[in-house]
Amino acid sequence: MTRADWMLLMPEIVLSLGGVLVLMLEAIVPKARRSFTVLSVLVALLAGWAAYLHTLPSAPLADTAATFGGLLETSPVTFAFSLVILLATVLALLASDGYLRREGILNGEYHALLLWCAAGLLLTLRATELLTIFLGLELFSLCLYCLAVFHRRVSIAGEAAIKYFLMGAFVSAFVLYGIALVYGATGSTRLAEISARLAGEPDIPVLASLGFLMLVAGFGFKMSVVPFHAWSPDTYQGAPSPFVAFLSVAPKVASALVVYRFLDAIVIGEGVAANSYKWSTVVAALAVLSMLVGNLLALVQRDIKRMLAYSGVAHMGYLLLALVVLDRDSLAPVLVYLLAYVLMNAGAFTVVAMLYNRPGEQHLIPDLGGWGYRYPLLGGCLAICMLSLGGIPPTVGFLGKYVVFLNAVGDGLVGLAVLGVVASLVGVFYYLRVVYYLYMKPETRQPEGLLIDVWGRAAAVLAAVGTLALGLWPTGLLQWLITATTGQ
Amino acid sequence: METFFGLLVGNTLTRLVFFPTLAALPLLFMGRASARTVKIYVLVASVIEVIFGVLYVGAHAGADGSFPLVHDAGPDGLPWIASFGITYDLAMDGISMPLVLLGVFLVPIVILGSWKGIENHWPAFGGSMLLLTTGVIGALVAYDLFLFYIFWEVMLVPMYLLIGIWGGERRIYAAVKFFLFTMAGSLLMLVGILWMAWTFKGLNGGAWSFAYEDMLRLDLPVYQQLWLFAAFALTFAIKVPMFPVHTWLPDAHVEAPTGGSVILAGILLKLGTYGFLRFAIPLFPNATEAAQPLLITLAVIGILYGALVAWAQEDMKKLVAYSSIAHLGFVMLGLLALDIVAWQGALLQMVNHGLSTGALFLLVGMLYDRRHTKKFAEFGGLARVMPVFAFFLVFSSLASVGLPSLNGFVGEFMILIGSFRTLPWPTVLATFGVVLAAIYLLKMIQLTIFGPITKDENRNLRDLSLREIAALVPLCVFMLWIGVAPNGFLKPSLRALETTLADYKARVAAPEPTVASLRPAPGTAITADASSETGQ
Repeated sequence: MTRADWMLLMPEIVLSLGGVLVLMLEAIVPKARRSFTVLSVLVALLAGWAAYLHTLPSAPLADTAATFGGLLETSPVTFAFSLVILLATVLALLASDGYLRREGILNGEYHALLLWCAAGLLLTLRATELLTIFLGLELFSLCLYCLAVFHRRVSIAGEAAIKYFLMGAFVSAFVLYGIALVYGATGSTRLAEISARLAGEPDIPVLASLGFLMLVAGFGFKMSVVPFHAWSPDTYQGAPSPFVAFLSVAPKVASALVVYRFLDAIVIGEGVAANSYKWSTVVAALAVLSMLVGNLLALVQRDIKRMLAYSGVAHMGYLLLALVVLDRDSLAPVLVYLLAYVLMNAGAFTVVAMLYNRPGEQHLIPDLGGWGYRYPLLGGCLAICMLSLGGIPPTVGFLGKYVVFLNAVGDGLVGLAVLGVVASLVGVFYYLRVVYYLYMKPETRQPEGLLIDVWGRAAAVLAAVGTLALGLWPTGLLQWLITATTGQ
Repeated sequence: METFFGLLVGNTLTRLVFFPTLAALPLLFMGRASARTVKIYVLVASVIEVIFGVLYVGAHAGADGSFPLVHDAGPDGLPWIASFGITYDLAMDGISMPLVLLGVFLVPIVILGSWKGIENHWPAFGGSMLLLTTGVIGALVAYDLFLFYIFWEVMLVPMYLLIGIWGGERRIYAAVKFFLFTMAGSLLMLVGILWMAWTFKGLNGGAWSFAYEDMLRLDLPVYQQLWLFAAFALTFAIKVPMFPVHTWLPDAHVEAPTGGSVILAGILLKLGTYGFLRFAIPLFPNATEAAQPLLITLAVIGILYGALVAWAQEDMKKLVAYSSIAHLGFVMLGLLALDIVAWQGALLQMVNHGLSTGALFLLVGMLYDRRHTKKFAEFGGLARVMPVFAFFLVFSSLASVGLPSLNGFVGEFMILIGSFRTLPWPTVLATFGVVLAAIYLLKMIQLTIFGPITKDENRNLRDLSLREIAALVPLCVFMLWIGVAPNGFLKPSLRALETTLADYKARVAAPEPTVASLRPAPGTAITADASSETGQ
């Protein structure tokens, strides 16, 4: 452990200490609560800056530096993923302030847990060793469980959190068992070594295959891909809406990279065409199931949060299309898609958090009737996010679909791409439903008890403007992401 | 080097495409302004757009009356998404020029025509109209397939809002149906575009491109062409709309407000036929040849079916909507005849249909504003109380029927003459469509404006106001102008059509490609003398 190692861990350290600081302030000067949001956002930005410092060309360990003896990776890729997670954190923090005040649950614990959760996610996505990955997984999962039940007076919040916790605990055991199996088969927990060992084998050991299957399933649960998605609608519905803006995006960002690492270790490592074909089939099956099941179930939802939960399942399906044929080019589409997903999905939940004020009840889409005119700013942001989720240009959601489908077509998966566009057509239908309730239906609800604060508006505008701006001027971003992921 | 903003301030296509968007931005802050202010603002913006259109065309029209291919920022355009070789490349030639002018020309007329009919949310209405203009004009002048796709989809949302917010009873159903039908086609086209880009990249030594002129160089085996043609043709056929994917159109037209219907019939549908002429036919010539019998059958069915169904309608707007299906069937027949005269007629007929059907929709809308019904049974004898209205209705109907000396005649006649040379039997069948058009439009005239006044409500109807006349007169002027002096309207596009057709014929005549290959870059390959002997 050198000084450089600690320096490279700075983003996670900043986030953890920031969480501790907020918690201390909560205990010592509770009157400072109103400033916790600003403070936490500053902490997240500071963490982003700390991460940025190590990607500068002048930094000593700029490229794919192995930190802590190879337990963590510090590279442009991890930096890009970290930034996406920090973006989600900032959006969720901004969205939370008004909600917490409205519900009378403004406590420092919320901010602290969110910051620690971000730290866990950063750790997870940088980890290249199975036990470290597990450690990160537990760190962020525990925070997520607590946050899901943060509004504890609401009964469905309890249900949401228990469902998430029980299944999550089960999945943790699954992951641990998978680690044990892989270790048993290869004698190592480091992904690079595992990959090297497997490359030497003529045929991949059943134990290792089984282990990796369990690992992929575990993180598939966090990404909520079919058939590991059952928790997400209930949890999204019961958990605080601004927190769902985080829950629905950030864990998926980290998990997607981890799944990529697993697949990378076993597919590229083994170099056996027959086995890579098997894994392609597995990933393709997950992708197709997620696209179809997610979209079809989202179609029949009347609750906007459940609808977004199922649509999130479908989005992870599109994302997995990029990983069916695994190569170094797969990572850029994944990253672009995730960034798009963070902006539009977090933006949508931010608006939902402000426009629905009864967290214990259903968040019915028809309740938005005519509010596009009553709340032009928020309505416009929500409409933009919906169109982006539907993949309609010129939004970043279209860009994400474009890069994913382009990658799939280039890999020869034209059939899967066609299936993907047909599925996204189904998606357009239910996203449009939100738009037409906003603008084409009469009002059905009196706006009572809402708290539309400046931070929440800022988050919604940030997400919507980002959605449009990155859709119109993606050049610099794409160039940078492709350079970051392919190293060219 | 030119930049986007540099282009924006010059007399360029960029200005023409993005001025409406820029003009729409202040509307975001005009939520509290009076409807009158907003109306005048939007009207002024759309008139400025017409002036920009005329200025641009005037600056680039050739001395001999033809309109050359003009790129906005050099032949390669500006880099936009450099990682994928996507360029910002706008260009206008003789094919897109008349349609662009038609598109910008219709917007102020629509604003005038909606003055009373649209009662609420004027900032949103004006904004949708202006954004729609950007989408339409952009799609007509995009010379990069990715850019084209973006503009193509950008058209969807404003039109969806126009139908869904200001439409009739079943407006949401119609709006969603319109959206999903259009999107269903275009998403498959997107996969096709991606596939072509990969193929081009593979043949071009790993360099990406989505440029139209590069895609033209792709010489693909017939089976690949067929798949791609199917994806493109489905997209455009839905937009045209061709039988049997036309079912969204009557719903959309009937539910849309007058302004929406005019824009939809006037210019949006033309994007479909334009797509065939610009993309589907030139990019996949062998597939076009193979699919020609099927598409001609569908076009002829569309002509006859549209006309027969229009005949049976009891609602004026539905009648005009179905007549659109028949008229665009003629345009499709002309395009598929692959004959220079038929193509000239088809392009002219696209403009004609925009003018005459636009006028008819406006007239139906004016009647609806007064009586809030569009049923024939509610009218009769209107000529006595509304003589000016009656004049315009008869005039526009006759233009639509194809009365000699009005515009519809020239277009239909050229289509039929040209098609008869290559497709005698389908043309004979299609000619019945002309007769049917006379029947159903005369039926409409007879039932609404002639005969005795049967309903008391109709006795005191106001005749057209000056504003309404101002909306109709420009349309009628052009109907007459094209009818008596069509040459000036045919000349600009002749060169472009000839070049496209010559290229098509050369590629069909060449031995069928068995492996994908790239043809040499244009400029040297397609010689000028090939274009002069075409169509003869």
